[in-house]
Amino acid sequence: MDVRVVQPPARIVSLAPNLTEIVFLLGRQDRLVGVTRFCNYPPEAARLPKMGGIVDPDVERIVAARPDLVLCTTDGNPKDRVKVLEEMGIPCFAAAPQDLAGVFRTIEEVGTLLGAPDRGLREAASLRARAARIAARSGSGPVPRVLFAVSTSPVIAAGKGTFLDELVRTAGAKNVAASHSGRYPRLSVEDLVAAAPDVIFIASMAGVERFSPDVTRWKEVPAFRDGAIVTLDGDLVTRPGPRLVTALEEVSRALSAWRARREPGAGSAGAARVRGWTNAAGVQRAGAAHGERRRR
Amino acid sequence: MTRPDRGDADGKPRAWGVVVALAGAFAGAVAWSVVTGPVPLSLREVVEAFRHVLATEPSRSPAARVVLELRLPRALLGALVGGALSSSGVAFQALLRNPLADPYILGVSGGAAVGALTAALLLPADASLPLPLCAFLGAALAAAGVFLLARRRSGVSRERLILMGVVVGAFLNAVIMMMVALSPPGKIPGAIYWLMGDLSLGTLRRVGLLVPYVAAGAGVLFLLSRGMDLLLLGDEAAFQTGLPVERVKTAVYLTASLLAGSVVAVSGLISFVGLIVPHGARVLVGSGHRRLLPAAFLMGGTFLVAADILARSMSASGELPVGAVTALAGAPFFLYLLRRNGGKP
Repeated sequence: MDVRVVQPPARIVSLAPNLTEIVFLLGRQDRLVGVTRFCNYPPEAARLPKMGGIVDPDVERIVAARPDLVLCTTDGNPKDRVKVLEEMGIPCFAAAPQDLAGVFRTIEEVGTLLGAPDRGLREAASLRARAARIAARSGSGPVPRVLFAVSTSPVIAAGKGTFLDELVRTAGAKNVAASHSGRYPRLSVEDLVAAAPDVIFIASMAGVERFSPDVTRWKEVPAFRDGAIVTLDGDLVTRPGPRLVTALEEVSRALSAWRARREPGAGSAGAARVRGWTNAAGVQRAGAAHGERRRR
Repeated sequence: MTRPDRGDADGKPRAWGVVVALAGAFAGAVAWSVVTGPVPLSLREVVEAFRHVLATEPSRSPAARVVLELRLPRALLGALVGGALSSSGVAFQALLRNPLADPYILGVSGGAAVGALTAALLLPADASLPLPLCAFLGAALAAAGVFLLARRRSGVSRERLILMGVVVGAFLNAVIMMMVALSPPGKIPGAIYWLMGDLSLGTLRRVGLLVPYVAAGAGVLFLLSRGMDLLLLGDEAAFQTGLPVERVKTAVYLTASLLAGSVVAVSGLISFVGLIVPHGARVLVGSGHRRLLPAAFLMGGTFLVAADILARSMSASGELPVGAVTALAGAPFFLYLLRRNGGKP
């Protein structure tokens, strides 16, 4: 979208939680006159006037707030409602970062738009440096197999093309759900057993933080056997905002803990796993081969 | 479909041959389901696994656990659910003398769904058994409610049953929508999958619990098969033959409802099977219920197990809801079957 603002906007409406977080990061929160009902971070954001939700922004309320800039996302905000706002002469800026690099770019762009270009460059550079540190650290050591669950009952995992997949890869792990073709594949218990993740992350939303005992009793899955299940705040990992880097650091920390446990002499967990499975008629090895076949 | 099979002079060997062939297909589908899955196992490993049947859990090899604790329960669940829904559908179509009747027409599905959603909203996420239990209670309450509302001193008329069933069903649907709209986000994803039909909830224990219900329900319906033949003639004519019409109708209604309710409680709302398999079976063996009921049971079980195999393996993006696959893959097949029959329903 082509946006021209002659002077830095003074009344901003944000229609996505990640964009709200970016405005706060840039220190321009005093100009926010409206956010969505999902904007809960930082805590002060929750006290700002609500303009509806992400998929159901309240156009009339937005117009009444007399914004001179609406920040919106093409991942969720309905096009026709944004168009109505534009037709009423309200400048709208759409950003939908698809990966970490996109998030950093968006911070710079929004910084320029809000009249804080230096602040934008500075914040983006600092986040880039943090992400680069993680990526540099992830290069060495064994590569854990990781599953990132966005729902536990049924089990739905983050597959290729999601932020969660990028976090896992950047932190130096293999996302076992990436062999499925969809972005959020639903996995059966047998899929889980075949994928054999070493560590499972759960993006926790209300009510779905735990796997059912019917699932966790499969101790053939290393993560269940070792209790390597890490719960992360769902908001942290599903919002393409500045805190995605915090999520990356938490993922990396959990994987470092896993690697430390697997160091030779630091316990027999790794060895036991290989033994247990190879004795079982080569299920583990065959499972890996199967994954490759799927990818082709 | 409303007239009894003209060739119903029982010893029709061809039709019984079809039943035997269907039994073969039924067993074949279950076997096929047990050998397919994401963990690659050779045929020998699968056969080996069955030697562990009597072994206790820890002494089983992982391959045997996959076969016996994941694939077998799921295959058996699909077979039971498909068979029970089809039998129940046959009974409802006879009872209501309506080819559009299915096990869900009189509110069983709505009652089960309200029960399941209540369980999902009020109980902790990892309490796994209460959902089937609440769903069954909901189904039984809805079925009983419809029956009591439709009953008059003179008995239960079909028209009132359908009317009350549709009204109660519409009311329960509204309750479902309210519950989904008002529930906090993330609270009911499991229940949503249940609403679409889900065979992944199969465990040996649940299948074991289900077997007596399905056996009893299908058995009682089979005993009522002559009664259902006569019901198709209409109440008056059936009464003339000496049939205790009201008692038979009550028995058919309650048995078919509880049969559907018990499987729906475990598998969720799998649609299409209970509506269309009875018609397919009728094309193959005629409408005499003594042959139709076993044929529909076997055909429904085969069909649902096959649909589940497709749902698990068709897409590389994870499992598809089996309830969608039944209609997607089943509609063309049954259209062919019905068309081939020269338009005779």
